[in-house]
Amino acid sequence: MEAFLREVQEVVKRYPQKRAAILPALYLAEQRFGWLSQEAYEAVAEALNMPKATVKGVATFYSMYRKAPMGRNLIQLCTNVACMVMGAETLLQLLERRYGLRPGGTTEDGRFSLVVMECIGACDRAPAMLVNKDFHPNLNENNIIEILEGYS
Amino acid sequence: MIRLTIDGIEVELEEPVTVLEAARKVGIKIPTLCWFEGLPPFGGCRLCLVKVEKLPKLQTACTLMSADGMVVETENPEIRAARRAMLEFLLINHPLDCPYCDKAGECELQDLVAKYGPEAGRFAEGKRRHPESFDDPIIVRNMERCVLCTRCVRVCEDLQGAYAITVTGRGAHSFVEPFSGGRYDCEYCGNCLTVCPVGAIMSRLHLHSYRPWFVQKEAETVCSYCGVGCRMVVQVRENSIIRTIPRFGLGVNDGLLCVRGRFGYDYIEQKERLRTAFIRKDGELRPVSIEEAIEYTAKKLLQIKDTNGPETIGAIASGRCSNEDNYMLQRLMRFFIGSNNIDSSARLYYIPIVQYLERIFGQGVTANLMPGIGRSDGVVVVGGDPTRINPVLGLQIRACHRNGGKVVVFGPSGGLKRFVPYELRPRDDEALLVAVLKALIEKKGMPGENKNLEERLKEIEVETHDVLREASIEEPLFDTLVGDLLGLQNPVVVVGPEVLQAERPSRVLFLVAGIVYLLGARVFVMSDRPNYQGLMDMGCLPDMLPGERPIELETFRHKVESVMGRPVPDKAGMNLFQMLEMAKEGNLKALYVMGDNLYYHMPDAEEALQSIDFLVVQDIFMTETAERADVVLPAAGWTEKEGTFTNLERRLQRFEKSRTPLGCMEDWRLLAELMAHMGDERPPRTVAEIWDELVQVSPLHIGINPREIGPEGMIYPYHGEPLRGVEGEFDVEALKGPYGGGPEGLRLILDRPLYHSGSQSRRSRALRSLQDSPVLCLSPEDARDLGLEDADMVRVTSSKGMLKVKVAISEDVASGTARLSNTFSEVHFSRLVGIRQDPVTTGGVFTDNLVKIEKLPSEGSEEVME
Ligand code: SF4
Ligand code: SF4
Ligand code: SF4
Ligand code: FES
Ligand code: FES
Repeated sequence: MEAFLREVQEVVKRYPQKRAAILPALYLAEQRFGWLSQEAYEAVAEALNMPKATVKGVATFYSMYRKAPMGRNLIQLCTNVACMVMGAETLLQLLERRYGLRPGGTTEDGRFSLVVMECIGACDRAPAMLVNKDFHPNLNENNIIEILEGYS
Repeated sequence: MIRLTIDGIEVELEEPVTVLEAARKVGIKIPTLCWFEGLPPFGGCRLCLVKVEKLPKLQTACTLMSADGMVVETENPEIRAARRAMLEFLLINHPLDCPYCDKAGECELQDLVAKYGPEAGRFAEGKRRHPESFDDPIIVRNMERCVLCTRCVRVCEDLQGAYAITVTGRGAHSFVEPFSGGRYDCEYCGNCLTVCPVGAIMSRLHLHSYRPWFVQKEAETVCSYCGVGCRMVVQVRENSIIRTIPRFGLGVNDGLLCVRGRFGYDYIEQKERLRTAFIRKDGELRPVSIEEAIEYTAKKLLQIKDTNGPETIGAIASGRCSNEDNYMLQRLMRFFIGSNNIDSSARLYYIPIVQYLERIFGQGVTANLMPGIGRSDGVVVVGGDPTRINPVLGLQIRACHRNGGKVVVFGPSGGLKRFVPYELRPRDDEALLVAVLKALIEKKGMPGENKNLEERLKEIEVETHDVLREASIEEPLFDTLVGDLLGLQNPVVVVGPEVLQAERPSRVLFLVAGIVYLLGARVFVMSDRPNYQGLMDMGCLPDMLPGERPIELETFRHKVESVMGRPVPDKAGMNLFQMLEMAKEGNLKALYVMGDNLYYHMPDAEEALQSIDFLVVQDIFMTETAERADVVLPAAGWTEKEGTFTNLERRLQRFEKSRTPLGCMEDWRLLAELMAHMGDERPPRTVAEIWDELVQVSPLHIGINPREIGPEGMIYPYHGEPLRGVEGEFDVEALKGPYGGGPEGLRLILDRPLYHSGSQSRRSRALRSLQDSPVLCLSPEDARDLGLEDADMVRVTSSKGMLKVKVAISEDVASGTARLSNTFSEVHFSRLVGIRQDPVTTGGVFTDNLVKIEKLPSEGSEEVME
């Protein structure tokens, strides 16, 4: 909690007012708590001296925050046209075989969560995915496992 | 000057306002849904669309500012079509379950669709689903009905300042919920349900038990819980309260209520209400008729008066009873018993604080108007949390902050946390007060208006350095505080009961008065009963006749005697403490207690009450005090009688009777009957007759006709302008110092919580659903030191006794103190402490309140007395 408060204070410095830092603070909370739990909202509210209900209201307005429990690592795999043509569907099947992971799901050990994306702007290097903040292009059935094994 | 034309009518404006408001000024009502008077405009529903010449599109009148030369049209086929279209959008998701919805009949959506259509929607897809939420004990949420006007969120944020609810999600998927998603866990003011235009947020208390057109009777009344005196309307059907609603634009509360006023009304209809009188025979209370009980009481009182003398009889008046009830009680005491022994629980803090300030500044110094708090540029709070003791007054302080004012709280900021720039948690309040006062004197100089006060102020000799160390307040913070106070132009000081909880209460009060004086502030005294001020004005004081005229003034006594045709006892009577002391010594033979659970809230009262030969209790419940009485008289309660209350700003407010009392009688009428048996040939038999007499007796009430008091009440006689400059004598202990060095250890303090109010609220099922058992509130620091966590069971031991109770950890508690309320029968505060009367202020100071707290393993809370 202390560490989180410090991180938020760092971000706050870049804004004219504390509450202006709410979006980055929510991202920090997401990293810290894994997802935006009630606890995470409360931490942000405390750090920014904002009402917790207001924090929740802002967070739920945006679709890209994680509002359900998530694994430690979030895989965002693109399945839009270019990636689909280049084999994203096979990769999806592989993830299910290998990790029991389905779109929207989380592995039992809480290691991975999977979300399918609508074009992440990497059609020239399809199929592609994001793991947490890391970008991984030109995937195939071999390298995807290799990449994922690097995340514990 | 702005000139515009609305529907062909010329409108002239001094100040620019929105087109909506401009139209209202000339009587044109533009339909609205998301707009609400007093809330910032939102512009979300688009029902207020109007046509403005030269602007290509329809405009929302609630957000558009009027401009010179504008030509506006508020109804035409284009506008009607647009409104119909907006409503069709809303009906896409609205469930149209009107036959089942409590709001039907007073629903703004229903009314708008009835006016503009559409008669049928074209949307064939399914509606959004949100099962009705019954997670909360008193608020039901039905988010299928929500039209996302955000009125509830804005009232909660902008007027209540609680920020408890929010719009979650986005677009058509959004809805309103409290942070938890389930229970509200908020201040439960219910102001969100007043403003919801549809049936999306509703009170659970009357769910599916009424339709708006079932209301048979509406009566104007005043809340029966605290000294703010919020106006409300009770709606009644078949002699039973359906609900209470406030009205915007009316009264001190202007549409707002707090949890007690909104939801706590059900106590009055509990089945344990007294429906018969009782007389103790062979050691037991046996039911008898009211007539029999009155006859018996009259006989006994006269007997005791003859045998032992009138000075052996006393009476306790009530801050929960009306002015008329209290007037009649002192009438009984003075003219039919012949004794001035009359006092009340207001002696504990309200009377001493008000009288002390009046002695310094002159009578009526606290007669200031509450809306002035919101308009002031700064508020200083000392001695308690106004957002709990007087919640709607607390809202004015929040409003002051919203309007840019500074809020300074001595002690934990509590419900004002979000509204203070810094917390001041001195280790010793007095030390900080004296440091502040000294700095103000140095920086501002004496105003030279109040010689008496200034003489005394000059006696203060402290070193700022030293007292700040005692207070353990850092100098930079102190400098900011003083700077803030010096910057105030028209500040307000709000004083609470806890200022007297000190070794030398007069000194604390004097310091506060000094700050009031140097700041040129208006002062308010918190009151946790609806009529403490009223009982004072009615003469329920041992040394004052009605109108607060001192008994020793012979001319005044003569005037009263000529009106009453009976002598006024010329010796000042005994106050609350003295009466109890007399009782212990066996010298108080009879005590008449009206509407006060004396045994329960006065420490050490047991022995005193046991020693009284004849105890009469007149109440609405069989209280702990009534159980010990020789005669119990059943009184009519709130809504069951007409009368007046006087709130803490001295606003005289009338309330109507809306229900028939069953098996009981108004307090004043019981007293009138009693006096009739004691030689009064013609006691007043109506409220109007009481007033006919009162206006002759009390110079404060000359010329008042209670029937003429309108819904705004009547500010008398000061009209909000206190009579300053009639200073009297006052004492103060040990002004020179030393300061600081307060007691060590953990002290038990009386808590006055938001959800409860003395032992009255324990009869409210609604309030009990919010808090059903006692809690001992501790600061996080003390809890940590004691190794305690929230909800742990502890044993609390003082030199007086011991009890088991659950812990609640709260930042709103000052470290070094533990707070417990006097509410529940099992565990209560006054059992654990003693009390002494401060000789200077005459107020009550709790003693023996050093406590030891130990953690217990088990569940459940029960009292173990030694
Ligand atoms: S009851 Fe009052 S505090 Fe609670 S959500 Fe409604 S407006 Fe806010
Ligand atoms: S709950 Fe009622 S007041 Fe709140 S946004 Fe919905 S319709 Fe408006
Ligand atoms: S503030 Fe006081 S008078 Fe107003 S509703 Fe609350 S308890 Fe009643
Ligand atoms: S389709 Fe996958 S990155 Fe564009
Ligand atoms: S009332 Fe103007 S937009 Fe809702």
